[in-house]
Amino acid sequence: MHIPDGILPAEVCIAGYAVTGAATWYALRQIDREADPYAAVPKASLLTAAFFVASWIHIPVPPTSVHLVLNGLLGVVLGYYAFPAILIGLFFQAVMFQHGGLTTLGVNTAMMGLPALLAYHLFRLQHRLGLHGPRWTGAFAFAGGAAGLGIAALIAFTLLITTIPADLDVQAEQEAIYALTLAHVPLMVLEGAFTAMVVLYLQRVKPELIAS
Amino acid sequence: MRRIIILLLLLVIALGSAGAVWAHGVKITYTVTFSPTIAIEAAYDTGEPMANAQVIVYAPDDPKTPWLTGECDDDGRFSFSPDPSKPGTWEIQVRQAGHGEWLKIPLDEEMMQSGQGVVTEGGDEGFSTAQIVLMSACVIWGFVGTALFFQSRRPPAQEPGEAA
Repeated sequence: MHIPDGILPAEVCIAGYAVTGAATWYALRQIDREADPYAAVPKASLLTAAFFVASWIHIPVPPTSVHLVLNGLLGVVLGYYAFPAILIGLFFQAVMFQHGGLTTLGVNTAMMGLPALLAYHLFRLQHRLGLHGPRWTGAFAFAGGAAGLGIAALIAFTLLITTIPADLDVQAEQEAIYALTLAHVPLMVLEGAFTAMVVLYLQRVKPELIAS
Repeated sequence: MRRIIILLLLLVIALGSAGAVWAHGVKITYTVTFSPTIAIEAAYDTGEPMANAQVIVYAPDDPKTPWLTGECDDDGRFSFSPDPSKPGTWEIQVRQAGHGEWLKIPLDEEMMQSGQGVVTEGGDEGFSTAQIVLMSACVIWGFVGTALFFQSRRPPAQEPGEAA
């Protein structure tokens, strides 16, 4: 899921930074409008740490293997804080472990952060629709977690498939990209389930942590 | 405080299971032997070889046009003989499904033309497990410290009207 340096053309990297810059500004402005913008910082900071280590945990999906991303979880639990959290998490992953890269930091943040914000709004739909009870909460958290990852995988797929350099054997690369994208389907279910689990747990022990 | 402990616990579980499993970074090692021949071995940082990954070789005199293209075998291995009349830095890109790495191999004139020489080895070996765990621990502590700092800025859970 993390696109490393040297894979995407320069224009795409620059566009990625532009989108991420705009989205970070928007997210920070939304955060600033809250009654106490600092209130959720501890929660955001800890989930950034979880996001940071998540890319280590890889799940074999033959013929390839994929790793946890948790962007949907961050979106559902953190709301607008998720975007800067993902930006910071990805920065440390790129610098420390070369997961992703500094030239692609903008692209990767937009790829995982925007779906996280979508996941947040999807999760909040529950209240808009007036559906209550832990079952609905679980269902919407699952949808948020799964959709966050799924949309990110689709964005990655689109970016990669449209920028295959002509020097490569295009068909072989396409097939490899299809296989990798399909491998994210089971991961969607897993991350959705994990998100639902975390949300239901937090709601039981610390309900004010979950945006309502 | 309790929520911090819960989340910390989650992190520890994540860290604990990290020893054996790594994500999808890529590391490539190479060996140069002479007459000259360059042999590379490409693997994900999970240790899994990059089977059938595509390889593009660029000669030092033209870093834009591929000099040679090919494919790794099932074990992520690929080898070729660079043109001895082109000393300089040979660049090799290994790529599969949006994962990949650039490798730069400097070959000087003497090495190229003597037909014999020291076998050179190198590549991006990545970090050892211990290094990664230590680095991660530092970063995580940074995040936890940030959390504790902002937590201590206000008395926890005493806002009015929050009794749920």
